[in-house]
This record gives sequence, structure tokens and C-alpha cells, in this order.
Amino acid sequence: MSEQKFTRRDFLQSACISVGALAASGSGVSALAADNKKDSGNKDGLPSVDVLVIGSGGAGLRAAVAVRKKYPNLSVVVVNKGMPSRNATCMAEGGINGVIDFEHGDSHELHAYDTVKGSDFLGDQDAIIKFVEKATEAIHELDYAGMPFNRQKNNTVARRFAGGAKYERCNYAADKTGSILMHTCLDEAITRGVKFLLDHYLLDVAMDGDKCEGAVLLDMQTGDVTPVLAKAVVLATGGYTRVFFNRTSTPFNASGDGIAAALRAGLAFKDPEMLQFHPTGIRTGGALITEAARGLGGKLINNKGERFMSKYSKRMELAPRDIVARSIETEIRLGNAFGEGMSSYVLLDLTHLSEEQIMNELPQIRHVGLLFDGMDLVKEPIPIRPTAHYSMGGIEIAKFDDMSTHLPGLFAAGETSCASIHGANRLGGNSLTDTTVTGKLAGEGAGEYASKQTGFGSGKHAHELAQKWQAKFKEITSGGTSNEMYDLREEFGKQNWDNMGIYRTGDKLEAHAKSLEEFQAKYDALKIPNPNMTYNTALIDYLEFGNLIMLARCACLGALERKECRGAHFREDYPKRDDVNFLKHSIVTLKDGKPTLAYKDVVITKYPVEERKY
Amino acid sequence: MKIIIERFDGKKKYESTYELRIDEVKGQTLLSLLQYIKRTQDITLNFTAACRMAICGACAVRVNGHSYLACDTKMEELLEEYENPESMRISPLNNFRVITDLVVDWEPSIENLRKVKPTITPKSEFSEKTGCVQTQADVDAIKKQWDCILCGCCASECNKLEADASDYMQPFVFTHAYRAADDSRSKDPMIHLKPAIANGLWNCVHCQECVDRCPKGISSFGDIESLRVMAMKKGLNEGMGPAHAEAFLLDMVEGDGRLNEIKLALRSEGVLANTTKLDIAYNLMKAGKMNPLHIFGGEKIEGHAELVKMVEAARKAEKEGTIK
Ligand SMILES: Cc1cc2nc3c(=O)[nH]c(=O)nc-3n(C[C@H](O)[C@H](O)[C@H](O)COP(=O)(O)OP(=O)(O)OC[C@H]3O[C@@H](n4cnc5c(N)ncnc54)[C@H](O)[C@@H]3O)c2cc1C
Ligand code: SF4
Ligand code: SF4
Ligand code: FES
Repeated sequence: MSEQKFTRRDFLQSACISVGALAASGSGVSALAADNKKDSGNKDGLPSVDVLVIGSGGAGLRAAVAVRKKYPNLSVVVVNKGMPSRNATCMAEGGINGVIDFEHGDSHELHAYDTVKGSDFLGDQDAIIKFVEKATEAIHELDYAGMPFNRQKNNTVARRFAGGAKYERCNYAADKTGSILMHTCLDEAITRGVKFLLDHYLLDVAMDGDKCEGAVLLDMQTGDVTPVLAKAVVLATGGYTRVFFNRTSTPFNASGDGIAAALRAGLAFKDPEMLQFHPTGIRTGGALITEAARGLGGKLINNKGERFMSKYSKRMELAPRDIVARSIETEIRLGNAFGEGMSSYVLLDLTHLSEEQIMNELPQIRHVGLLFDGMDLVKEPIPIRPTAHYSMGGIEIAKFDDMSTHLPGLFAAGETSCASIHGANRLGGNSLTDTTVTGKLAGEGAGEYASKQTGFGSGKHAHELAQKWQAKFKEITSGGTSNEMYDLREEFGKQNWDNMGIYRTGDKLEAHAKSLEEFQAKYDALKIPNPNMTYNTALIDYLEFGNLIMLARCACLGALERKECRGAHFREDYPKRDDVNFLKHSIVTLKDGKPTLAYKDVVITKYPVEERKY
Repeated sequence: MKIIIERFDGKKKYESTYELRIDEVKGQTLLSLLQYIKRTQDITLNFTAACRMAICGACAVRVNGHSYLACDTKMEELLEEYENPESMRISPLNNFRVITDLVVDWEPSIENLRKVKPTITPKSEFSEKTGCVQTQADVDAIKKQWDCILCGCCASECNKLEADASDYMQPFVFTHAYRAADDSRSKDPMIHLKPAIANGLWNCVHCQECVDRCPKGISSFGDIESLRVMAMKKGLNEGMGPAHAEAFLLDMVEGDGRLNEIKLALRSEGVLANTTKLDIAYNLMKAGKMNPLHIFGGEKIEGHAELVKMVEAARKAEKEGTIK
């Protein structure tokens, strides 16, 4: 098959059924094509591929490349709901952690300790200790893969401080580290012959007995529901911070689809209540204003004109993220803020800086202020409020070394996964490292697993699920009114913010759990008035919303039962950390469609639990 | 005011007109306006977006024929640009296959990127274990090209793609080829240069629309020129290349720096062999995208001095026998 004449239909058929042509990226043709039809159990000839990666952020792309590098005979397809480069990874600005200079006092040990402490001791120390070693490798590998990092005087990778770190180990590429990292990974995947299935949406993970047999995808372009068989599947679909729909810094597609699919397949959602908030989001919609704004002396001002941080921390605006975020929310609750409801805000004042300084150091932030609020921070203070930023919780990982889950053949990586590296609070710069490190481990793990499989699953379950979804689509696209779903989603985001946001109490969470049940009921009755299945974006909104409701129910349960304060989880009615009862991970699974909670001990190996003080 | 959106439901094309009060329009970005229309008026309207911060490239569309990054475009600015029009026309990017409404197909672009192998093959002194060494100056040389977010604005405006896409690639593909070829860590620029030549490097018609519309200020046109200089230095001037190349050199050094497509086409291929290209030129003139008076020379383009330097370097290489 020639490279040029390559239609998507051909692709699915051939990528998958005559794998050779695709996997070949120039060299050795895989033996799989033959294997495919004969002994595989794939009697219906469903599309199939050795390793199916879902999601093309940093984690998914790293996983795909890892398979191609270590197992060049295996075919790899990356699925994405849209064009591959639309993700959270490209939004990261700050940098990626990893010690590369061991001459000036920094070490793996210190990176591990900072990470453990940052996690408020909810991180699993065995995983963290391995993670920081792999972090160093990851930086060199990215450099070798062509990532144009900024450089130091001695021409090695440049680095700076990030919050919660004792040394400069946050490696960066201008103020676009994530974008440059993601494009490096995308370029490498393209160059190495990874194939992309654009505009496909993961609906469900399918099983043959107790093994993962593949996934069910919605072809967004045609509306077809396509079961795809795979020897191994990697979920890398990113976080779920869109539960706070209009108050998050993350992209619209951060809807936790992979976690929801894993839950439906019987897997556990670990530490779902651990959601990180960033203190400075733009008032309208929560886009991020980076920490650098406070680093350069930005002052936070309430409606009385007071620099209110003096009431909360000696370090003023430079206190850790969670403290600043809580202080702002307190001011809002005390009535010391501007605006009302979801659009309450305080001011961030940078007018002490000259225009020149701002253009040199904070051009992006000025741009964001102008774009969303039409306000120029050179001339006036701009409105800000905390915003949801990162999901520490995710699919429970069984083994960090290969990022396998408890379902054989299913792997997870990046923000979707929870290998308990970030515990109750992620350090700035550690999540790009997470995508790069866990992505590679998951890819190699999936490759190894796939290369040991003799064939594919029967496809029976995949087929059944596909039929179920097809019937469902018919039903739900047959009525309803235009704004019903969007109004409900808006309200859902608001309620999550008010009741499960920065400040939590038992009473509110209990009531919220009930109201989430009502959201679920309303959602179940929802219909959307667009039966045309050609790239039906309302249907995608619908599917994402459904997943978000389920994940919010899990998070609410975890938050309700965790009667302590730890990291990002702040309970006003239990204002202390409780290591006797809650040095444990929340493990949420679905029983008859309802979230149920169990606990699992945190792994503590090297660093004794102590108070987290900064 | 009226927002007219060009629609396609997978089978047929049509138009939808949405009436909005000016206070519903002001204060919005083009993206939030599309979302507002979808939420309140027409749930069937399809478009894509992810980051709403001008970094993921998902939301590019055309307004009155020109490409914009919807999330990075304020409605006030558009109103001003078009002098408070009664209506505005929004359509999908040009030169892409439209899937539906404002959603286009990116798969061919990915396959084109694949042709130029966008990842470097590092020099053998570097290793995966210890990484590479590179000066900040060498990073800066390719920094701009790394700002590309694959939004497609440049491709939408490209006159060569519009005239005939069969022997050409999206402008950003050349930018990706160039940044790999010019990376100081790269062992061999040929890996990227050769496929760029094979897939249309000499066919750019120099209209510079790609430069004008790139939301990141990238000049794919400039990158195409840089790749051409690189090709000449390497003596890669087969086929249509050499005559074109010579004309290119002359124009750059002795002309006003702005490549004059008509002159170039005539010079490099002869009038008769060139009827098809003249058609392109004629169409461009008609569309107001090319000024026929350029044949008599015009103002010097920005960075002319740079170009002259580049070309002089190429000439030197030529004397040394690298360029035949
Ligand atoms: C504004 C901002 C700034 C940040 N700054 C930093 C920083 O400085 N340093 C740092 O370390 N971290 C930072 N982060 C966090 C970091 O960017 C992310 O946590 C990380 O990139 C997540 O990578 P990922 O690969 O797991 O997921 P993503 O990059 O989100 O990729 C997930 C992909 O999966 C796809 N997908 C999702 N669902 C489906 C489905 N159902 N079917 C098919 N495909 C699907 C999505 O389309 C997406 O492409 C920042 C995040 C944001 C939002
Ligand atoms: S200058 Fe070349 S690449 Fe750019 S738009 Fe014109 S023809 Fe296309
Ligand atoms: S070169 Fe510019 S316009 Fe073209 S895709 Fe890249 S960012 Fe968009
Ligand atoms: S939505 Fe990402 S660039 Fe506009």
C-alpha cells in the first residue's frame, strides 16, 4: 500500500488486519498478518492490532514510541478523539522535573523526598523512588529525541526552580515546555511508523474472560461503532478536572473517559477525591495564570483594597498553591470579593511592573487577561479566582514497572493512571515527568505482554458492547431540546465547585452525593436533538458529560469518607491530617452502577511520615 | 448582527444564519461565540476546540475567507477589522477536506508530516543515555519553527495548495522539515530535505499568505526558502530545480528580495512550458493576491539583508564547487 493513497477506511482494515503493511514503516514486515487470521480466535475478522494506545497526549505518544522501539515487529495504533495534538500536555508551560546535575547537591534521593513530602505522604514510596530515577533518563531521552530544551552556559539542558523543590530540577523549553515536549513526542511517533486513528472516541474496554481483548470505538467521522481487538491496550486519556466544568485550567477534552471505561470494566478508581486547585485562574472560565505572576511580586487584593494574604501566611502570595487557593476562597466566602456566585473574584495586581518587564517576562499572561476579560494587566489589576488544575486520582495501577492494571492486557499511563506518585498533591513539573516516564513504562509493558500472546480474544464481548452502544445512540439522538444538556452540565460544574471544591464539609458532601444521584437520573433521561451521526459533537459532549458525572460520584464518595485534611483535600470539619485512620488510598469501584469504597495502605519504605511544613 | 456559517452535514452543503444582538457578540472570543450559538441556538453546529488558549491548534476557522484561531480572536477585533459589518461569514479552513461544518480532516497532513520524517537522527557523539549538547544560539535558530501548533491557518491560505495540491504539501510540513534539518544535533539534514524536495519544495508560488495568517508569526515561506538554499548548497538541483534556483539567486541578490513569481516562472521554465503556471498567476492576480506590477520591482521585503547574506553564502559554496 502506498503512503499517499491511504484512506482512513483502508487504514482500519489494513492497520489492523494485514498489519504488515503498516507496521513496516520501511523495515521488517511483521509476521502478525498471518497469525491474525489463523489461530487468533478473531473469527469474525474484526479489525485488530497488537498494541492499541488510547489518547495522544505525552503519555500515549511515549507509550506508542516505546513499543515501536523495543518491539519493532508489533503494530501500534494511537487512537484520539480528534487530531492527535489537541491535549493537556501541550498546555504545560513551566517545565519537567528530573535531576540531571548531580554536582551541586541535588540527587534522586532529594527529588524523591520532595515528591513524598509534596504528596502529603499519600504517595507510594516504592514507586516514587523508581520514578525519580526514570525522570533523569526521561530528560536525556527527550533531548535525544530532538526536544529543543533551553540550554545552560555549558550547553546542557537548562533548569529552574519549581514549587516544593529544594534544587533547580525543573527542565524547560522557553515558557512552552509542554507544547514542545508534545510535538517532540508526536514527531517521533510519526517518524517511527506509529499509525494514528484520528477522530475516534473510546467508548468501552472489552474483555475475553479475565483478559482485556480490545476496545470499542466510535468513529466520529461516520458514526460507526467499531470494535477493535488488541493484544494489549494502553489507556492514556488524561485527567477528569472538567468535573468543575467552567472552573478549570485544563482542555475541554479532560473528561476522564479512560477512567470511566476502566470503572465499567470492573477496575478501581484510586484516590478520586484528590483534585488539585491552582490559585490563579482567569475569572471567566478558569484559564491559567502561571505562578510566575506571583513570583514577580504580584499582589492579591480584595474588595476592601487589602493585600489579604498577610492574614494567612508569612510568605504572603508566595505561600504554597493550596494555601493561596484556600485564602482566596475564604475571602470570597467572607464577602471580601468582587462579583457573585461562580464569577466571584479577587484582583491580581501587577501594575508595579513596567510594560517592558511584563512584555519580557509575562507576555502570555497579559495576553490571556486581554483575551478573556479585556483587561490589560499593565494598566490595571486583573480578576482571578482559583481553578481546578490536575487530577491526582486515576486508574489503579497494579505494578509501577510496567504500568499494568489489575486487568491483564490493560495498561494505563499519565494523568489517567494512578501509580500514586503524586499522592494528595502533585508538585509543579512532576506531571510532565509522569507522562514521559509512565508512558514509556506502559508502552514497554504492553509490548512485552502483546509479544507473548499467541492470538486475539474472541471479540464476543467487544461485539456485544458495540451493539449496545449503537442501540443507545439511536435512542438518545432522537429528541430533547438544544440547551437542556448544556444547562445541566453548567449546573453540575457549579455544584461540584461549591460542594466538592477547595473547602469541603461532611454536610455539604452528603447533600452533594444525593444531588449527584439526581444529576445521574436527569442525565439518564437526557436526549439530544441531532440524529446526524457525522462528527456529532453534541453526542461527544453527551458522552463526556456522562463520564464526568460518574467520576464526580466516585470523587464525592472518597471525599465524604476521608475525614481529614491531606494535600489538596481540605475538610473544614476535620482540619487535621489523620495518619492513624487515613494514611490510606481510597479505592472506588462500581457495584451495580454505584460507587463503593475500600481502602488500601500507602507504601512507606524510606521516608518516615512527618508533618508537612513549608 | 448576522453570523452566517457554512454548513455541511456529511451529504449536502448549506448555510445557517444566526441573528445575534451586538451585546451577545461583544466581549466574546470567536470560539466562545461559536459555543454560545451551539448552546443556545443550534446544537447541531459542529466545530472543534480543546485548550481555548491558542496552544493546541484545534479551533482554526475562516472568517470572511481568512483563517483565524477562534479562541485567540476577540469579536471586538473582528468587528473593527471588518468595520462593524451587518454580517460575518464563518467557514471551515480551506484546502482541507471538510468532514462536517467547521471540522476538517487532518489525516492527510499527518501522512505528509510522515514523509519529511520530522524527528532528527542525532549525531553519533550523542546518546540516549546522556542526551545531547547544544548551544542556546543553536536552539534559538529553530525556536520560532517550534512554535507551530498545527492549526492549519497557513495551509488554508496557501495559493499553491489551492491551485493544485497534487504536487505540494501544507506549508507547515516544510516548517517541520526545516526545523529538523537545521537542528545542530542532527546528523544528516538530507533525511528531511530530500522528501521536501520530492514533495514540492520548488513549487511554492511565493505569495506569502502563509506568513500573514500564521497566528504564531511563523514564516513557512521563509522556511521553504531556507530549505531551498540548503538544497542548492548540497547540489540538489535536479529537475525543475536548477533554472528555478538560478532565477531565485538572481532575484534574491539583485532584485528587491521579494521573489517575483511571474518573472521567476518565465525565466526558469520558458514562456511556452509555463502555461499552467501562468494560469495560477492569472488567478492570483484576479483574487488580488498577487500584484502584476511586481514584475517591475517593488519595495524591499523585510529581512532582505539576511537573504542576501544567505545567498552570498550559497554563491561562495558554488565557487567552491558544491553547487554545480
Ligand atoms: C494549563 C496547564 C499547565 C500545566 N503546566 C504544567 C507544568 O508546567 N509542568 C507539568 O509537569 N505539568 C503541567 N501541567 C499538567 C500536564 O500538562 C498534564 O498533567 C499532562 O500533560 C497529562 O498528560 P497525559 O498524556 O496524561 O494526558 P493529555 O495530554 O490530556 O492527553 C490525553 C489525550 O487523550 C485523548 N482522549 C481523552 N479521552 C479520549 C477518548 N474517549 N477517546 C480517544 N481519545 C481520548 C485526548 O483527546 C487527549 O489528546 C499543566 C496542565 C495545564 C492544563
Ligand atoms: S508562500 Fe508558498 S507556502 Fe506560503 S502560502 Fe504562498 S505558496 Fe503557500
Ligand atoms: S505554521 Fe503557523 S499557521 Fe501553519 S500550522 Fe503552524 S502555527 Fe498554524
Ligand atoms: S482551542 Fe486550542 S488553539 Fe484554540
